[in-house]
Amino acid sequence: MSANQLRPLDVLKGVRFTRELVLLCLLIVLVVVLGQMSPVFFTVGNLLNTSRFFVEVGLIALGMTLIIITGGIDLSVGAAMALVAVTVGLAHQSGVPMALALVLGLAVGLAAGLFNGLMITRLDLHPLVVTLGTFALFRGIALGVSGGGAVSSFPQWFEYFGQFYLGPVPGQLFVFIAAVTAVWLLLSRTPFGRYVYAIGNNEEAARFSGVPVRRVKVVLYTGIGVLVSMAAVIYTSRVSTSRADFGAGLELDVISAVVLGGASIYGGSGTIAGTVLGVVIIATLRNGLSLAGVETTWQVFLLGVLLIAAVFVNEFFRRREE
Amino acid sequence: MSGVGALRSVGLRTAPTTRGLRRWLLRPEAPAAVFLVVLLAAFSLAADRFLTPDNLESILVQVAVLGIIALAVNQVILAGEIDISVGSMLGLCAVAVGTVATATGGLLAPLAAGVATGVLAGAVNGLLVTLGRIPSIIVTLGMLYALRGVILLVTGGTWITQIPDETRVLGLAKLAGVSLPVFVMFALFLIVNAVSRNSTWGRDVFAVGGNRRAARLAGLAIDRTRLLAFALVGAFVGIAATIYVGRAGSVQTNAGEGLELQVIAAVVIGGTSIAGGRGSALAPVIGAVLIGVILNGMILVGVPGVWQSAVLGALILLAVTTDALRRRLVGGAA
Repeated sequence: MSANQLRPLDVLKGVRFTRELVLLCLLIVLVVVLGQMSPVFFTVGNLLNTSRFFVEVGLIALGMTLIIITGGIDLSVGAAMALVAVTVGLAHQSGVPMALALVLGLAVGLAAGLFNGLMITRLDLHPLVVTLGTFALFRGIALGVSGGGAVSSFPQWFEYFGQFYLGPVPGQLFVFIAAVTAVWLLLSRTPFGRYVYAIGNNEEAARFSGVPVRRVKVVLYTGIGVLVSMAAVIYTSRVSTSRADFGAGLELDVISAVVLGGASIYGGSGTIAGTVLGVVIIATLRNGLSLAGVETTWQVFLLGVLLIAAVFVNEFFRRREE
Repeated sequence: MSGVGALRSVGLRTAPTTRGLRRWLLRPEAPAAVFLVVLLAAFSLAADRFLTPDNLESILVQVAVLGIIALAVNQVILAGEIDISVGSMLGLCAVAVGTVATATGGLLAPLAAGVATGVLAGAVNGLLVTLGRIPSIIVTLGMLYALRGVILLVTGGTWITQIPDETRVLGLAKLAGVSLPVFVMFALFLIVNAVSRNSTWGRDVFAVGGNRRAARLAGLAIDRTRLLAFALVGAFVGIAATIYVGRAGSVQTNAGEGLELQVIAAVVIGGTSIAGGRGSALAPVIGAVLIGVILNGMILVGVPGVWQSAVLGALILLAVTTDALRRRLVGGAA
């Protein structure tokens, strides 16, 4: 019995290892192919510059990985990002000191995530329907309070969050690396991380084993709210504007990156390394296609197909293991 | 479980009239119906122009496209799946309707083209979910973006204009004083209601959504049931697209953007459970009318249009919260 249980687990470990290897190979192929399509692509400057664009998606994808591992989903991240950006912008415009405006933005992002988490756990509602509701609610509040207008006269020092370079390396890359390390440690080295996997594998069993299921979920949804706030500040600083249409369709990039990285949409499996590779692959693809002169709508089309294909391959391999 | 049993036995001991009321209140669409009546009363008091036959009919005409699609998506949700690709699907069907209409004219050929395109797209969704065994949320999220890409491929980003009048009949004409879109919506409701209550497929939808494992053990054709539901969405989107093109008179490449949210909202506000297996064919119609009344009333009362999305989101959350609390209070039955 125990031998039988051990064997598939070992196979699973082997496959996960190769999955990340496969993703890495895919990335290398992508870089080479895109390098052929545009001479600008394959320069150190451009490759480092690409990282400026994936940090926002990447930060949110870290939180989304944990949520998807528990079997949940958060569709409201793009809308929450707009809400935070508009909060920061309007607070600054109405004369609040910039530092306080940032704190306000952080509080709004945290509150948005907490709201999702409480709705899901206290009322036993499906994350899909709650976050679909808040997807409309957050975007609507952002549109309503801003009246659709933009704020763009931010103080000079605010540019540091999104436009600072240390030599050729964009500053936000350090934020991302720190966040990746922190979430990776949390997921693979702490009891909390074990709880996340336990909930995703069998929520009922986890509850009966004494895992504080509700509290873990509230922490996860609140946590992604904080990551969304960080992404919103970096994005607002990078483009020096705050508008209510920020982050439209962001959830597609984020969810695609996470499932491309190998997390099962049914919960129970997924890794931070996989997600980071997924984020980098999608960013490379987008950057390379832009440089090659492919329209944005076509990039979105490819992302949609890529999302379906990635999940198909995931589930195909998972079934074969069983 | 024991709590539910206790509540049931209390229910049996109460007087017959309260029992009838109780049974009515347990119907999935009851809270939305009550809310709709309250809203109608409130808006009538707040704005003079609200409670006029013209305004009420214009609300129904405006929600016809939404209501027709919600009727079909309701079946998908009852079967325990979800379809959030309908916004782009409407755009694609509208392109098909518009292209054929400008080429051949007439009503039947464009309608057939729209329905065929919709069924094809719906079948792709259904096959990816059943044969591909990919979760419907991922399939339809991917298709939401992929189909928008197909629209741009087909149209090259240009609008389709000068739709002939005979094609626009379904959007503009009246039959016995009732606008055709309203007529089509209620006709389709009657059909879906009858099919849902009386046909094998209609019952299977509830069984598959309520408890898939039990449905499989009972020998029901789970995949065929779900595939049919997805194809039905396509067919209804095709019909709705013909109405849409008829009303608009042109097709833009962004036609139907954001519609998926309103459709899901109509279904869950109407009282169909997002978890599947519980709801009715009446729910999406009541939900769609409720959304129409609120958006119309907001404008008459003077709320700026930018708040629409926020109100829609708040409504979805209010609806699912009500549903959750109601199930907790009266037990998980029905």
